[in-house]
Amino acid sequence: MPRLAKSDLVSIEDLPLSDIERIFELADSFSQAIERGETRRIAEGLIMATLFYEPSTRTRLSFESAMHRLGGTVISSPDMHTSSAAKGESLADTVRVVSAYADIIVLRHPSDGAAQVAAEYASVSVINAGDGSREHPTQTLCDLYVLRRKKGHLKGLTVAICGDLKFGRTVHSLIYALARFGANIVTAPFSGMELPDYVLDRIAAERNYRFSTVSLEELKSDQGSFDALYLTPNAPHQMALFTDANPLQDVPAARAPASLDAFYLTRLQRERLAGSNATPCNYAPFDARALRSSRTHRAVVMHPLPRTDEVAYELDSDPRAVYFEQAAAGVPVRMALIAWLLENRSRPAKRGNTSSIPFRGGTAPRCANPSCITRREGAYLRPRFRFAPTTNREHLALRCDFCERNLRVDYVGHTTSRRYYHFDESLHGYVRQWVEDGTLAVFDSVKEAEERGYEPYRRGPQREIMNSEEIAAACQAIAAQITADVVDPTMLAIVGVVSRGALLALRLRELVGRQTGVRPPCAAIDVYGQTALQPLDDTASFDVDGRLIILVDDVINSGWTVQRAMTLLWQQGRPAGVKLAVLIDRGHRALPIRPNYIGKSIPTSRTDRVQVRIAADEGGKPGERVLLYSLLESPKTAENPA
Amino acid sequence: MALDADALARCVKRIAYEIHERHSAAERLALIGIIRRGANLAERIATILNQTGRPLVEVGTLDISSYRDDDKSTPGDPRLLGRNIPFSLDDRNVVLVDDVLYTGRTVRAALAALADLGRPRSIELAALVDRGRRELPIRADYVGKNIAAPEGQRVYVKLSEVDGVDAVVIGETKPEAF
Repeated sequence: MPRLAKSDLVSIEDLPLSDIERIFELADSFSQAIERGETRRIAEGLIMATLFYEPSTRTRLSFESAMHRLGGTVISSPDMHTSSAAKGESLADTVRVVSAYADIIVLRHPSDGAAQVAAEYASVSVINAGDGSREHPTQTLCDLYVLRRKKGHLKGLTVAICGDLKFGRTVHSLIYALARFGANIVTAPFSGMELPDYVLDRIAAERNYRFSTVSLEELKSDQGSFDALYLTPNAPHQMALFTDANPLQDVPAARAPASLDAFYLTRLQRERLAGSNATPCNYAPFDARALRSSRTHRAVVMHPLPRTDEVAYELDSDPRAVYFEQAAAGVPVRMALIAWLLENRSRPAKRGNTSSIPFRGGTAPRCANPSCITRREGAYLRPRFRFAPTTNREHLALRCDFCERNLRVDYVGHTTSRRYYHFDESLHGYVRQWVEDGTLAVFDSVKEAEERGYEPYRRGPQREIMNSEEIAAACQAIAAQITADVVDPTMLAIVGVVSRGALLALRLRELVGRQTGVRPPCAAIDVYGQTALQPLDDTASFDVDGRLIILVDDVINSGWTVQRAMTLLWQQGRPAGVKLAVLIDRGHRALPIRPNYIGKSIPTSRTDRVQVRIAADEGGKPGERVLLYSLLESPKTAENPA
Repeated sequence: MALDADALARCVKRIAYEIHERHSAAERLALIGIIRRGANLAERIATILNQTGRPLVEVGTLDISSYRDDDKSTPGDPRLLGRNIPFSLDDRNVVLVDDVLYTGRTVRAALAALADLGRPRSIELAALVDRGRRELPIRADYVGKNIAAPEGQRVYVKLSEVDGVDAVVIGETKPEAF
């Protein structure tokens, strides 16, 4: 029997408060042992594998140091990007293989939710050492440990968290953990780097937190100075989160907390911003002036390090600056975590996924988080969601099992009746029922629902606005315009939006090819599925760099589909230009996008649907047509709409 | 010179009034200026909108700049270097403001950046100058002036906040006073 039973630390939420306390007791004893020069070789014979898909010095060294101090050994690969990952090995395969080499896997990965995937596929214990912008639970343990050592306890502290709250994974883990200890949290973000809504939603729904904004002026007049705010001179307000035992009671705008126990500062995560040298705003470094006021003079200053220039170096000698203690706590806390894993030999793995919503093939939504591991390793990972606790019943919120991000669902469908509905409050009961029956489907938009072969629950009478001859004539006209406009037909490529845009793209390709004498390459782009271009028909894969792309879709409405398709195109390279061809322009644009080639413009009302029915061939079949009908409201009666 | 200070001021005013007409006071409106002259124009438009008695219009900025990759022969595309949008874009009507609309590549990068930040209800585009010759299917909702400048020429928008003077100038190379 292995000495170490499988027990993973993916999220700080995996640890009950009693276990956190136990880890801290162990950390105290290890910290004393290190000071006295004693060794505790309790992990002798155990092997830890450190898999770091992202660079890290502190986390990795402190894990390795902790393991060595306990008498264990460490194996690692210097950089996962140069080894198996570069060869295209999936995370699941890597951890399954490494499970045979080691007793513990420590993983750092750039994708949100990677640690959850590793925990599910590895047969040994997995410790999350940071996965994307999701969580970094061992850093949180170190933060809490230092906070507890400095303040004597963790219950009901008031902590100001400043800096990059959007991408800072240490911050998200810390906020969840502090919320469990009932802390008041004041957030003072760099402007544009606010705490994401999903973090707020989660602690509002699960920990009953309430949010109030505290104005700069109010804070200033209230107690002299609140210098934390000079970190965000551009921000008009900051947000404070206060525990709220009685959410129904109408409480006036929040006042600044009477005193602060800690400032937690973070670094700007430049590597997670779109541009490499981003400077969202100018801010002055945090220094001793912030600690002068009566409300802040007892506060300690924390920082997960490395710092860039958020904390003034003069502060280092101040006893309230505890960031180097935080770093030093890394080893005893991680020793304690390993010891705790050893103590929990018989602990059953507790992260069950029994509450996941069963989606039948093709009916599951895609996680909206572009950094989610399900988007990177979609070849074998099926998206998995559960109901998210939410404070707003008008929307259906699902939470990704991997990255824990909430997904707002606007359209739901019933897989047996093949009907879709715009979600509203009256559908909650049905949706629960459909989940039990395994018949729930969810969609991003009406377009997606219809792409997947669903019909609206109810619709008005339909009217034909184009017949097969008119469709064929429109394609001819568009092809003639393209031919007239194009300067170099060899640099043309035709890209259609899945699925009807792609069918039209194939037709345009043949028509343009006949007229110019050069058959352009043709590809499909799937805004709901894969990110790469899918070459169509006999097209070999081609480079979009320098090409004039004709982007084709059947109907343009808001323009969001086109915007997404362009974003996907730009991930492939730099086209020399993009021209947009649509069969139908129905108006109602929500974006500054204008098609270059339009088959027919039709005035429609917002609740109308335009449906293009065409087949996957040369076209001109008598059954082909464009239909217009109006969508009717979801059922308000008790009758089951399915 | 294509526009003098008076004409430029009239264009900005007209854009502001058109925005005001198209969006009722009840709508949650936000202006996002593209750094840097687009950001200054957004501030000017916001000042005019805020005199109409509607709720204060919030203003944010996107920093989107062209870069050139020396290793490749093809020019690089404009990309996001930073942003300062201290409010949520969810369910908001956003007006993106830039000084000159040309190929549309900057606007494409801006749309991608805004879509990444939240779920705005709509995004409109206001440009002081539209000089045509689009490479992408982008169009402006509000245009100060259409200027058909030949391909080799450049259109310079000068604003007093940056350049000490308000004017739109067409030139072959960078003007001295720039």
